Amino acid sequence: MSYSDKVIDHYNNPRNVGSMDKKDSDVGTGLVGAPECGDVMKLQIKVNPQTNVIEDAKFKTFGCGSAIASSSLATEWVKGKTIDEALAIKNTEIVKELALPPVKIHCSVLAEDAIRAAIGDWRKKQESVKPETVQAAQ
Amino acid sequence: MANAESKLSLVAPPGATPHANSEATPSCWSCGEMRAHHFCGSCGKVQPPSPVDYFAFFGFPRKLDLDTSALEKEFYALSRKLHPDVFGQAADKERSWSLEQSSRLNDAYRTLKDPIKRTEYLLKLEGVELEEQSKQATEQARASGDLKKQVVPPDLLEEVFELNMHLEELRTQKKLGEDDPALLEEIGKAKLSLEEKHDALLNELKAEWEKWDQLADGATNSASDSNRRKILDKMVDVLNRRNYVWNLVRDVNEAIE
Repeated sequence: MSYSDKVIDHYNNPRNVGSMDKKDSDVGTGLVGAPECGDVMKLQIKVNPQTNVIEDAKFKTFGCGSAIASSSLATEWVKGKTIDEALAIKNTEIVKELALPPVKIHCSVLAEDAIRAAIGDWRKKQESVKPETVQAAQ
Repeated sequence: MANAESKLSLVAPPGATPHANSEATPSCWSCGEMRAHHFCGSCGKVQPPSPVDYFAFFGFPRKLDLDTSALEKEFYALSRKLHPDVFGQAADKERSWSLEQSSRLNDAYRTLKDPIKRTEYLLKLEGVELEEQSKQATEQARASGDLKKQVVPPDLLEEVFELNMHLEELRTQKKLGEDDPALLEEIGKAKLSLEEKHDALLNELKAEWEKWDQLADGATNSASDSNRRKILDKMVDVLNRRNYVWNLVRDVNEAIE
C-alpha cells in the first residue's frame, strides 16, 4: 500500500506535535486508541473561555503514518474554530483530504474521536470550574 | 472420513461463498456419490473447493478450544494428499482444484492454529466486525453529541501512551549513542508488567472459549441468543485489550534489542 502525498507530508512534517498542561482548566485532553491496530493518539486543545474558540492544538500519536497524518490534520483544522465548529468535523472529511484507503479509515475515525474526547474533557472542566455557567452539552 | 456427513450439514457463512453456484451439489462430480470436502469418500477423486468455513474445512465443530495437535496431523495428511504434484497426470480441472484446495488448506491451517487468529475468525463468522463497530459508535456519538465510549479502558490507554513516550526516548538516546540505565530499567519493569497482563488476558479469553464451546455443545440451555452475544462481546473486549498489550510488548522488544 502506498501513502498519498498529503499523508507523507504530514508524516514527515507533522504539525503541532507536542503537549500542553493537562491540568490547565482551558486545556482539554483526548486520549483515544484504535483497537484494530493498537494505535494510541493524544490530542489537546486550548480554548478561549470567553469566545469558545480553540486557540491552540497539540497532538502526539503512536501509530502508522495515516494515524499520524490524521491527527496532524485534525489539529490544523480545529485551530481557530469554535467548539461547535470543531464538533462538526467528520472523519470522512479527513479521509477525503488525505486520500486514505479503506483499510486506513479507522485512523480518521480515531482522529475524530480524539477531537470529541478533547472537547468532552474541556467541557467537563468548565462545569467543575464554573458550575453557574454550565450549559447544555449541545 | 467419518465426519464427512456432519460437515455437509454445516451451513456456510454469508459472504464466504465465492463459488457457491458450482458447489451447490453435494455429490461427487465424478461418481455422483455423496462428496466430502476434499475428496469423494466413494471414488477418491479430488473435489472442487466447497464454500465452507475453516472449521468445517477440517471437519471440526465451530469451537475454540481446539486440539491443535489433531489440527496439525490433519493438515499434514491433507497437504500430502492435495499436493499439486500428486495431480501431475490428472485432468486440468482436478489439477486446478487441488491447487485451490491446497491454498485454502494453508489459509485455514494458519488461521486456526493461532489462538488469536482463530478467535478473530470465529468472531467474523459470527458477524462481528470490529472496525464497523467502531465506526458506528463514532457516528452515533456525532449524532447524539455524547462522548463515544472507548473500547480500550482509559488507564490502559494511559499506560500505553506513557510507555510509548519512554520508548521514543530510548530510541533517541540510542541514536545519539547515549545510555540511560534508569530508563532501561523502567522499560524492563513495564515490559514484565505487560507480559503478565498479556497472560492474564489470554486466560480471560480462554474462559470465554469455554463458555462458547459449551454453548456450541448445547450444554448451556439458558437464553442462548443473548448469552451468545454476551460471550462474543466479551471476546471482542478481551481481544482489543490484548492487541494493545501485545503491540506494545513487540515494540518494547524491538526497542531494547
